[in-house]
Amino acid sequence: MRSNRMGWALLAPTLAILAVVGFLPFLYVLYVGLFDWNPFSNQLGMQWAAVNNYRRLVFDGAFLDSLWRTGLFAFVSVSIELSLGFLLAQTLVKNFPGRTVFRTLYVLPLVMAPIAVGATWRLLTIPGFGPIPYFLDKWFGIDYRLGTFADQAFLTVVLMDVWHWTPFVTLTLLAGLTAMPKEPLEQAQVDGANRWQVFRYLTIPMMMPVLLTVIFIRLMDALRVVDEVFMLTSGGPGTATQFIGIHIYRVVVPKTDYGYGSAMSLLVLYFTIVLCWLLFIALAQVGKQRE
Amino acid sequence: MFKHKLTVMLGILVLFSMVLSGCAAAVPAAQPAAPAAEGEASWWKTASQSASCEGVTIRGISESTPPSNFARETLAPAFQAETGITVELETTSWDEMYNKAINDMQAGTGIYDFVYIEQDIIYQYLANNYLVNLTQLLADNPNLASPDFDFAKFTSFIDNFKDADGNIYGVPMEAFVKIYLYRLDLFNDPAIQEAFAAEYGYDLAPATTHQQYQDNATFFTQYGTDNGLELWGTTVQGNTGHASSFYEFFESIAPTFGVYNWGINSENWKATVENGGGMNSDAAKEALAFWVGLLQYAPPEATQSTWDEVAASFAAGRAAQGWVYGENAAWIATDPDRSKVVGNVGVALPPVSEGVMEAAADGSGYIGYYDGGSFGLPVSSKNQQCTLLWLEYIGQESVQADWAVAGSRIVMESTYDDPKVQEVDAKTDNYYTLMKDEGPLFRGAPPFPFHSALREVVQPFIWKALSGELTAADALDQAAAAADAELVNLGYGQ
Amino acid sequence: MKSSVMRNALGWVGLYGLWTTMIVVTIIPIYWMIVVSARSRVELFDAPTLLIKSFYAPNYLKPLTDPIFQRYLVNSLVIATSNALLVTALALLATYALSRWRLPGADNIFFWTITQRMAPPAAFVLPIFLIYTRVFKIGDWTLFDTQLGLILLYCVFNLPFAVWLMKGIMDGIPVELDEAAFVDGAGRWTVLARVVVPLVAPGLAITFILSWIFAWNEYLFAANLTSVNARTITTGLAAFVSVTGTNWGEMAAVATLAILPALIFLVFVQRYIVTGLTFGAVKE
Repeated sequence: MRSNRMGWALLAPTLAILAVVGFLPFLYVLYVGLFDWNPFSNQLGMQWAAVNNYRRLVFDGAFLDSLWRTGLFAFVSVSIELSLGFLLAQTLVKNFPGRTVFRTLYVLPLVMAPIAVGATWRLLTIPGFGPIPYFLDKWFGIDYRLGTFADQAFLTVVLMDVWHWTPFVTLTLLAGLTAMPKEPLEQAQVDGANRWQVFRYLTIPMMMPVLLTVIFIRLMDALRVVDEVFMLTSGGPGTATQFIGIHIYRVVVPKTDYGYGSAMSLLVLYFTIVLCWLLFIALAQVGKQRE
Repeated sequence: MFKHKLTVMLGILVLFSMVLSGCAAAVPAAQPAAPAAEGEASWWKTASQSASCEGVTIRGISESTPPSNFARETLAPAFQAETGITVELETTSWDEMYNKAINDMQAGTGIYDFVYIEQDIIYQYLANNYLVNLTQLLADNPNLASPDFDFAKFTSFIDNFKDADGNIYGVPMEAFVKIYLYRLDLFNDPAIQEAFAAEYGYDLAPATTHQQYQDNATFFTQYGTDNGLELWGTTVQGNTGHASSFYEFFESIAPTFGVYNWGINSENWKATVENGGGMNSDAAKEALAFWVGLLQYAPPEATQSTWDEVAASFAAGRAAQGWVYGENAAWIATDPDRSKVVGNVGVALPPVSEGVMEAAADGSGYIGYYDGGSFGLPVSSKNQQCTLLWLEYIGQESVQADWAVAGSRIVMESTYDDPKVQEVDAKTDNYYTLMKDEGPLFRGAPPFPFHSALREVVQPFIWKALSGELTAADALDQAAAAADAELVNLGYGQ
Repeated sequence: MKSSVMRNALGWVGLYGLWTTMIVVTIIPIYWMIVVSARSRVELFDAPTLLIKSFYAPNYLKPLTDPIFQRYLVNSLVIATSNALLVTALALLATYALSRWRLPGADNIFFWTITQRMAPPAAFVLPIFLIYTRVFKIGDWTLFDTQLGLILLYCVFNLPFAVWLMKGIMDGIPVELDEAAFVDGAGRWTVLARVVVPLVAPGLAITFILSWIFAWNEYLFAANLTSVNARTITTGLAAFVSVTGTNWGEMAAVATLAILPALIFLVFVQRYIVTGLTFGAVKE
């Protein structure tokens, strides 16, 4: 009855598609990463380079800078999204007049294309045109120019990401909170625990799997962000918001440095996988404990 | 309950898409009148038949600009009517166009039968043998050589698309010069003139020196502040994350200080002064400091401005003067739907350092950028003969004038004399006349086969100079060192 | 007593204050986009005001009556809907397999599936382009510039997510229910269709929705793997932004049009998100 053949058969189409459009390109990138290949260099064609591209990466300041910036961006924006999302999700658990309206309006950014998000924020932030620089100047006397001030650009990109993705975090956490068993919480309140204690010793541990899942998903996507940032700042001013996805894009596309860019891609993929694998293990651990 | 909703939803989606495709079928594509003359129809038809091109579809890719859109919307349908060849021209963004064209030609896929070749990228394409030798192709197919097509009718701009032996690889479709624009209403206002003369001790005029340019910029910025106007002294194409700022500096500003070819020594492929280059020479540093210094007299959007936004700022009346690409000069000066300064746009040659004008006149230097592009035929194309007909079609004299009016581009000498063009010329303070007479003072990008790779390495330093992260001198020192290293990496100047 | 009333009132004020702020912050960027879309080109640099003084209709009419834009819209609808259906169906089968059979290496397969989504995309454009134009080639026909090509490709991004989402939900359905049905003589497929699918329906819905939104919104691959026939709305939007950077009014109008279908969609199905988005992390 329970022959594995049936199981594999059900899994097969998924694996087949992923193998063709996911794994095959991966192998190609792996292969190209072993060559020195820029079609517009003086020597035509691919030159065997073994692991030289990977060796170069370790000393590539621009690459390491970009890696560090991406990490910072992912950390800051995911932290904000998580705290804000948790707060909002908690307010949404109980019904109150207007809840549905609030929730519906609030998740609007979730459906916007990243590229449209970038375009929208660009319209907001162009000096002489958008309202943000205008009102910051008028009310607070702040000179707001994304093209000039690196800190402002970084902050704005973080805010944009928070604006775009906190709704997703909120909804996921809300789903978790809603599905959480109510009895332990009520019991704790009867036993005289205060709000903070309930939150710290009951809600957080029970929500841990959901939290880790959300962190996993958001981290994975924040580390490969391209579209909206490219649209808003193109990575500038200078390289202040040139995250790793944009950096790789520049190396592979306009610079046509295919070999080096492929190696870079794989190294970043490797880092991401390691990071996510750690989270995955933590997740599995928490799951086991609860069983 | 749930299932029901999902069904309803899908139903709506399907309906929606059906309605939309219905619309698509119902609205016919606009087909403006064909500009070609009656008598020629038979020749194109015969030629097309002789190469069995009737019913063939050829596909091209170009940047979405007014000239390309004119080719797609007007020339392509007219060509189809004459020859039975369908032309699908994909117009897209600048970055995407290069990426897709290069992917296609590099892999030899043959998706595109013709590609837009900007003047500065041709050397990369030629070095990789991407393009078909059109001179040869015409000679091999005499039955396809239209009597109305002749390479000799083009301006000297076509020289950019020749190899060392004079063979031609692209049919020019647009050309402009990056010009100095200023506001006639401001510069000719007697009260303003008086105030300027009182402050600076000489008469207000379009700048011929950098000091004068800066005086003008300072004056008008102050004038804007004093009068509560949204007006600044100059535009700066200073986007701190986009290649456009690199181009403005190296192609328009640096040459006026006598720094040519990005400061790269073409003998030994070196950029640093120590190695015989000029990218971090004193003149280059002076140029960068001057240009970055202009930011304080430019509207606040300058560090986010590419070529499009510079034109928009000028058209919105936010700047008194500036370097603006010629393709925008005509609409800024004439189109009231898009511009607030119609009729108030003056054109002049950009300000230069001492000796630069003389060097440009004798051909040893240049004062700015002569920009443009052509359509070329990739070797990988499977419809080369049919595409050749299309390239000849767009290279006829008879289609040039309307194209010039639609896209303010001129690639043939004869176009300057067309009444339609002269009418626009009169409204734009004689931009076309200036381009015709002074065009030779301007020049295209240097013939670097490593153009985009090197640009990618150098531009971050320019951005950092613009954002104030580096001083002009430091930025160029670092940029030149990085350029030297990258050139070696690319196999030049070992 | 009194202080409890006070605290309650304070709680209400805080709650509504918080939400009003959130809604304002959320809406302003979208609202500003609509404001800009109502402006003609010469009005663009007018002082920023949040009022819509006049409505410049050509910004909307021009793209809407343009057959090319209409084709983009239809392509996006077809691609997003087909991809979402495909992904949902595949994820249902795959997670059923992962959850009901003890397949050797299932955990690794599961994680491997997710890693598909982690790669920085830019370097993968060229290989996929080559595969589409050279490997999948029948005569003159290739996967390049076809709707099918994008439908398949988006599986790489959507399937991992879908499998993850569905896996938890599938695990949450007691195996005893399947077995009870087997005892009654039902076959594998009958059990799947009659017992499992109704129970995982909210999960299927959310999978469909999120896949649809992602496919609708994807840009990089759509831009590079299509040319004329299969272009989607996001590529149209990007062309606007980078090319006619000055024509912000029309760009904003196109952006508004591009998010409209997704918005309608979202309002319709919003409530299922809350029940379906648990990733199986919480077991009731």
